[in-house]
Amino acid sequence: MLATVLYLLFLIAPIALLALGSVGQSWTNTLLPSGLTGEWYAQLAADPSFQRAFLTSLKVVAATCVLNTLIAVPLAYAIHASARRGAKAAARILTLLPIATPELVLGFGFILVFSSDTLPWLGSIWLLIAAHLVVTLPYLINILLADMAHLKLDELERVAATLGAPFSSRFIDIVLPLLRHSLLSGLITVSAISIGEFQISNLIAGFLTRTYPITLLQAFYGATGFACAATIVLLVLAILASAAGALTARAARAG
Amino acid sequence: MSVRFENVSFRYPGGTGGVFDIDLEIATGELLAVIGPSGSGKSTLLKLLSGFAVPDTGRILVDGRDVTRLPPHERALGVVFQSYALFPHMSLWRNVAYPLKVRKIAKKERRARALDALARVGLADFAERAPPSLSGGQQQRVALARALVFSPRALLLDEPLSALDASLRNDLRDEIVRVQRGAGIATLHVTHDQEEALSMGDRVAVMHAGRLVQVAKPRELYDRPLNRTVAAFVGHANLWPGVVEAAGRVGTPLGLLACDTTGFANGAQVTVLARPEAVQPLAELPNASRPNVFYGLVNADRFLGAQRRCDLEVGSGIVRIETTIRTAIHAVSIPPEAIRLLPPDSTASQNPAHTGKPS
Amino acid sequence: MAHTNAPTGRSIPLAGRGIRLAFVLPALILLGLFFVLPLISVAREAAAENGAAFGRVLRDPVFWQGVKGSLVLGTLAPAFSVVVGFLVALHLSRLSEGVKALALFAISLPLTFSGLVIAYGFILVFGRSGFVTLLLAKLGADPAVVGGFIFSPVGLGLAYSYYLIPRVVLVMLPVLSNFDRSQIAAARSLGAGNITAHLDVLVPQVMPALITAFCLTSAVAIGAYGTALALVGTQVNILPLVLYSKISDAGSDFPAAAAISLLLMGLCCLVVGVAELFRPRRVV
Repeated sequence: MLATVLYLLFLIAPIALLALGSVGQSWTNTLLPSGLTGEWYAQLAADPSFQRAFLTSLKVVAATCVLNTLIAVPLAYAIHASARRGAKAAARILTLLPIATPELVLGFGFILVFSSDTLPWLGSIWLLIAAHLVVTLPYLINILLADMAHLKLDELERVAATLGAPFSSRFIDIVLPLLRHSLLSGLITVSAISIGEFQISNLIAGFLTRTYPITLLQAFYGATGFACAATIVLLVLAILASAAGALTARAARAG
Repeated sequence: MSVRFENVSFRYPGGTGGVFDIDLEIATGELLAVIGPSGSGKSTLLKLLSGFAVPDTGRILVDGRDVTRLPPHERALGVVFQSYALFPHMSLWRNVAYPLKVRKIAKKERRARALDALARVGLADFAERAPPSLSGGQQQRVALARALVFSPRALLLDEPLSALDASLRNDLRDEIVRVQRGAGIATLHVTHDQEEALSMGDRVAVMHAGRLVQVAKPRELYDRPLNRTVAAFVGHANLWPGVVEAAGRVGTPLGLLACDTTGFANGAQVTVLARPEAVQPLAELPNASRPNVFYGLVNADRFLGAQRRCDLEVGSGIVRIETTIRTAIHAVSIPPEAIRLLPPDSTASQNPAHTGKPS
Repeated sequence: MAHTNAPTGRSIPLAGRGIRLAFVLPALILLGLFFVLPLISVAREAAAENGAAFGRVLRDPVFWQGVKGSLVLGTLAPAFSVVVGFLVALHLSRLSEGVKALALFAISLPLTFSGLVIAYGFILVFGRSGFVTLLLAKLGADPAVVGGFIFSPVGLGLAYSYYLIPRVVLVMLPVLSNFDRSQIAAARSLGAGNITAHLDVLVPQVMPALITAFCLTSAVAIGAYGTALALVGTQVNILPLVLYSKISDAGSDFPAAAAISLLLMGLCCLVVGVAELFRPRRVV
């Protein structure tokens, strides 16, 4: 009980101070900021480099979601449909990749491969999207596989087969409609991770393809209020995504 | 609309499990119940027939057509699974209409036929409901309607009642038999519940270690089991080891028993079977000379309501009794005609002299 | 019966081989080009001058300071996270489903936060003119000492815990929810005190999950650099920051950076491997 309360305090304190700081007029060597202002947000909205970064991040998130769907849904289905033990092991390794391979190392690999003359893609937005795909794919696969097991999809498919449905009908009538909820909540998780991703983007983004978090780091060296406002924007996006994800997951479970 | 297994064997990769040398025929309109302990291969039989496994050897024929290598969706067999497996994202009528949809039947006719099928299982009013809002018994009724709506060549029931409450089970048993009779369809019913098999099956097949041990009508199976395995698995049984001492005389742990020994030579090892309800409990040793009367000591006495189940110590053996009398029991009489001699275990499984044809 | 010579039967998978291959192909191309290829390049770069880069790295005192910092960080942060996460999960496992879902939602929020958010938030709370620092200064503590804490490896560990604790809770909660609490009641009826009962009955049974949680969070703490970079620049010696400055410095020693990359990744894989060994089944 005590641990939970202290922990929630630990959880909330940084967020609360960020929120306060973003609407405080001045905050230097005082416990809390003084004066109320919306000036920092106005500055942020007018800042051309933040505008560009925000737009870049949105593009990357959108492309990551679309491509992830096209790649992850078939892959998760193939893993699920394979009776082999090897498929399950491959899935497990895939879900461990993001932890076992530091993004810093992967990003360094990107620099080595894609700064060459044969594959000169470093700095392009497409390489950024590819990196976000690799980083987020395991999360989506994990969510889809868990849902497939929860739905007992294999049993439903077997019934459909005995009722006369060939593979294409089963996939379109049974598999895809049943997965739509978990796919949606999975994509929201992917968006949340993608929008906040810093570690690999920071290494491979070009000057014109900086994402929001990279630009945010620059802001930390400037005015406190401005940095707070810029951080809060990112935070709100992540919280919105998480809430939307939780609600979809809940709706999916309910029916 | 018949089903035939011809010398079918299937072994699971990397294991010893599977089914071996299966010869079996289910006639049109017949309900064949398959029972056996878990791991005996009864579910594998169903997998092979429904097309989720391909046998190593042998053929499977449905209506005389070889379906051994046909994928499941081309076999046109109705399967009802233990877990109902209704599609959660479709209303009940859409669930039932699904096999018609994949057969490209127009929506109007689909709906009409689905509603008709739902009416036959008493759920016409539920057509627009979603599956999760139904009870288990109702869901299983829908699954039955769905499995039959496209007039399949045969019906496969995979432990359809085992997920239901005991009170629901009896109702649904009758319902399944009624609908199956109405459809006049060859049916393979896999179950681990012997009471269910005996009450529902036209014939019952007993499986053990991947082999068919005996296929017979329920009464024959109960009264004349082929060996110890069948006798022990179907119903309750007194099973004593014995040796034929002379014609009409068998030595057992209880003492010498008089019974028919036709077919067994003197000195042959046998298993002696007597059903507990055929054993007559006695209050005291009778004066008149009756055969097979033994004095005994009750060492367990269980009151079960309609019945009473007693274990009586007789000699160095135990006699199980099922009776309705409530008075004290001090002796038993085992009528010679209630006794059957079975070959001892070792030879039993090697002579599967079962009758694979419907009688 | 020659069962041993019988051909092996087949169970039919739900989708044919061709379909499964076609379904896996896009992912194989993606991972091949943007995961395997980069890692191979790193390995080749490290092996360039016959592996001389490894020698240079192993003789470099900065590298060893980084290893030391990362080991401290990779032990303290997960240890603290596991203790707090375990207690929180234990508390949550006894709540009703609705409250549990809500609390779980709040707790798993940090998982999707960018490391930068956490870094700046911690500067505001514990930095040189942070809220807690100034609060403690009023009680007489030296703000220079208190404010410096967050920029040390130990302080960094506290910041890391912010997103490590949720991971611990997510691993522990299903295990603790499935634990049959009547065992505790049984132990207490046999005469054990509350804490003794938990230590003797509960902890041994959930030990594998605790080890898994420790290793998973340890691997994350060892491999991450975003939060650290935002908090302290490259001033603290931990392995990822040593590597980061090698990569980002102009005209730097790429073979040495590649060698450090491999060592760092090896360390993470090792820790994740241990986590896998102890992973409770059916728990993500």
